[in-house]
Amino acid sequence: MEFIAFAIALAVAHQALKGYKLSKEKTLLYLNLSFVLLGAGLLIDGLANLVIVLARFHRAFLFLSPLGYTMNFVAQVLAYGLLVFAYIEQTRNVNIQIAMAAAPLLLFEHNAVTELILIFLLVYISAQTAINYSMNKTTNALLVFGAFASLAMSHLFFLLFTLAPVFFPFAHVAQLFGFLLLLAMLFRVNSPS
Amino acid sequence: MIPSEQGTAAKPTSKYRSQLRIYVDIMRVIQRENNEAKPTRILYGANLSHDRLVKYLEELRGLKVIQEGGTEDKIYSLTQKGIEFMNNFRRVESFASAFGFKI
Repeated sequence: MEFIAFAIALAVAHQALKGYKLSKEKTLLYLNLSFVLLGAGLLIDGLANLVIVLARFHRAFLFLSPLGYTMNFVAQVLAYGLLVFAYIEQTRNVNIQIAMAAAPLLLFEHNAVTELILIFLLVYISAQTAINYSMNKTTNALLVFGAFASLAMSHLFFLLFTLAPVFFPFAHVAQLFGFLLLLAMLFRVNSPS
Repeated sequence: MIPSEQGTAAKPTSKYRSQLRIYVDIMRVIQRENNEAKPTRILYGANLSHDRLVKYLEELRGLKVIQEGGTEDKIYSLTQKGIEFMNNFRRVESFASAFGFKI
């Protein structure tokens, strides 16, 4: 599932880069970097889990799980943080220096604090895209809102997974569904009118 | 590629249009007029003064995205490059708009 999401994230990043080259609009560059980071995080996490499965859960490789999750978490925080920054810059027209967060020294497993941080960022982005949909009323805006709302739901399920393992598949399905909605939007944007 | 004005990228809060936005507005008027627009139609449609219209039409001709025709009255039309640019711009605008970003 991570690999499908990775491919869709790269497709969105590519479209944003094409838009930036044409318009030189900085928000599209932030969007590009954001989805490159999301894709990189998903790829690393997916590869880490794949290696563990291929090694038949050998103890020597189990450290890859928290390593992959940590790198995916850092990538997602930076990616969603960048998107939040893009929305703030667009709406308030402020020029803030981006402060890069120091790389965390600890490795994380799925835990409530990391998921809460991601939920907080995604709820903000979902709210912005919902406002955009309420003003535009276009199908594409609805798909983007649905995608971020679904990604927020997936992290809510990951949060619940720390309490009950039954939520783990729901989290992955919600994440994949979010990226599939973005793919649908890309197809619509690039379809001949 | 059509460049945007140096350091004056358009923001929704800005009252000024970027150079790119003015180019697109002019080309949209030409497209709306079935790809044959007189300067007066472009002037009103793109909301420009006469001097600025002349300047921008000259720049667009230099970029080979529009061409001048007509015998008595000047008539402007999009070139193939201009049509392709507008198709690409429409896609980018639609993509950015889906995220709530204006270009």
